[in-house]
Amino acid sequence: MTYAYLFKYIIIGDTGVGKSCLLLQFTDKRFQPVHDLTIGVEFGARMVNIDGKQIKLQIWDTAGQESFRSITRSYYRGAAGALLVYDITRRETFNHLTSWLEDARQHSSSNMVIMLIGNKSDLESRRDVKREEGEAFAREHGLIFMETSAKTACNVEEAFINTAKEIYRKIQQGLFDVHNEANGIKIGPQQCISTSVGPSASQRSSRDMGSDSGCC
Amino acid sequence: MSDKGDIETEVITEATSILEDENCEPTKNFESVDQSAKSESKSEPVASTRKRPESKPSSDLETSDVLPVQTSQAAGKETVSKDVPHTGWGYWGSWGKSLLSSASATVATVGQGISNVIEKAETSLGIPSPSEISSEVQYATGETSAKENENSSPMSGPFGVFSTISTAVQSTGKSVISGGLDALEFIGKKTMDVIAEGDPGFKRTKGLMNRTSTLSQVLREAKEKEEQWTTNEVTMETDKKTHYGLLFDEFQGLSHLEALEMLSRESEIKVKSILNSLSGEELETLKCELEQLKEAFSLAEFCEEEEEEKKGDEDFTKEITEVFSQLHVSSKPEKLTRARNTACEWIRTSLAKPLEEKEEGKKQLEAEKIEQINNNSIEDIHAFAIRSLAELTACSIELFHKTAALVLHGRKQEVTAIERSRALSQMTVVLCKELSSLSKEFTTCLTTAGVKEKADVLNPLITAVFLEASNSASYIQDAFQLLLPVLEISLIENKTELPEA
Repeated sequence: MTYAYLFKYIIIGDTGVGKSCLLLQFTDKRFQPVHDLTIGVEFGARMVNIDGKQIKLQIWDTAGQESFRSITRSYYRGAAGALLVYDITRRETFNHLTSWLEDARQHSSSNMVIMLIGNKSDLESRRDVKREEGEAFAREHGLIFMETSAKTACNVEEAFINTAKEIYRKIQQGLFDVHNEANGIKIGPQQCISTSVGPSASQRSSRDMGSDSGCC
Repeated sequence: MSDKGDIETEVITEATSILEDENCEPTKNFESVDQSAKSESKSEPVASTRKRPESKPSSDLETSDVLPVQTSQAAGKETVSKDVPHTGWGYWGSWGKSLLSSASATVATVGQGISNVIEKAETSLGIPSPSEISSEVQYATGETSAKENENSSPMSGPFGVFSTISTAVQSTGKSVISGGLDALEFIGKKTMDVIAEGDPGFKRTKGLMNRTSTLSQVLREAKEKEEQWTTNEVTMETDKKTHYGLLFDEFQGLSHLEALEMLSRESEIKVKSILNSLSGEELETLKCELEQLKEAFSLAEFCEEEEEEKKGDEDFTKEITEVFSQLHVSSKPEKLTRARNTACEWIRTSLAKPLEEKEEGKKQLEAEKIEQINNNSIEDIHAFAIRSLAELTACSIELFHKTAALVLHGRKQEVTAIERSRALSQMTVVLCKELSSLSKEFTTCLTTAGVKEKADVLNPLITAVFLEASNSASYIQDAFQLLLPVLEISLIENKTELPEA
């Protein structure tokens, strides 16, 4: 029920790449092959545990349709983390990443942690974007990268949690002002943050970040 | 002291007089409740106006808040046997709450400023500030039991007076049940003051509600305080289940509200910059049109008395679907109607059994029967009521948010912004009425299930349902207002054929 921090996430990316499915898999642990088009934004929330701390993730799952673009931009503000999703079977969704990234950078805090996600890794036979390409793009733009499958749940958990770990690390490094809500972080009820700084924990979590290969 | 007494009586009599008015519009199922409430409320004002607490009581109370302490004593003597524990908040909370709710019902009908009357009620009855409550409760309860132990003779002197006052308060609390909250639920933000007194989360947020803070901020704050309070002071699972704020957030009401606020704010900025870029005649025409739009948002219908009483069950779904379709947005209010129908179904099954059995059981040992028959305890009903209100409100706000998104999204418009505003305004009325009617039904469930319960157990639950219903209505109305800038920008863009920014 209680949490140490609340992080606001946004999920962005082209329509049909599986944003809502990723969220559903993460919050409800199920997969829905046919999903209604998202209008504006939908929400999900889940508690995760990072270094023994309960963290509530409040996830804003935005509409991917181009026509909603100007509206969804309004929702970016105050996000601590973003999942930027493309579909590994549709190259155009990968090609649009730059424009999504520009949008994200422009409309949210500069400290926002961005996780690049190549979704639908279960459809290996239809793959159109190589894993290395995703990795290269992430490296170039300073993003974390993972390939996931909302269908098989592969790496879904990890994608959300690793993002949270990175945010948590930034908090401990003092990069995030947790008292400024524009950063998308809120301190949970009855928390005393002054005592929460622990460099050893942050080092450990940053090392964890790399181990994302897993099943995909 | 004596003029305080005057004001106090005023509040109570006002409350009771509207109660009688409200009783004039019969609510089908609850004739028996009505009658009992009526007979009580008829006798009470006389009792309470007959005597005044003229003399300072002789007891050794040094605080200036003499009255509430004594009233609690009186109430304690009257309704509570020695071994009933007076638990801190519950006991005091109930007392203060039921008075406040009746006072606010009065306000809405009589048309006075609510803060005015609350202030009156506070000064006259000396309702303690929330922070004082806990210490006073201990004091008061200590006093009560001490007095009861040493003095077994019938109540005399000032205590007699106080007991009548407290009965009056209790009966007004009860008759709110029959009268309903038609009025209270429409008072909007001013309800904050009332809620602040009764709700542990809100009470500390009181005063936060100013121009600079947004609604969702206030709500979030209240929710966080509530969470804190929950962890600090409440350990029982059941208590968590009845926290409106937590439930509202669980149903994503808070998130939708925040998102709606974002869209609203962005639209507002756009409208301003467009207005700044215009001049002369063009500006005047636009201003005029925007003014018309604003009028559609003023909710004039709320002031009028509702003509029809509650209609059939199916009607809400039909009505809301119809109104919603006038918006011409590609979405349907299914989630809302589903949630509402679940609530109605629950009420129906909950009421069906006890009512039937009550009829035949009347000649027999009624109390025993009802005890057996009731599957749902009053706590269950209360929890479900609060949950339903939170869910319906969250769904309503989601609906407004989606509408805002779709209005901003839509390029071709078959309807004008004014037409949409009117439909939205009507939707707000329908939603608020439905919440009112639901809260009435929930409290009927409560009174039916709780016939055997003492007033100080039942009343706070009833009051809580009404307060949250009025709370809900306020959120819905505030959310509705957030749509104004959205429709303004839609009007402008449709008019000037501006390409989407």
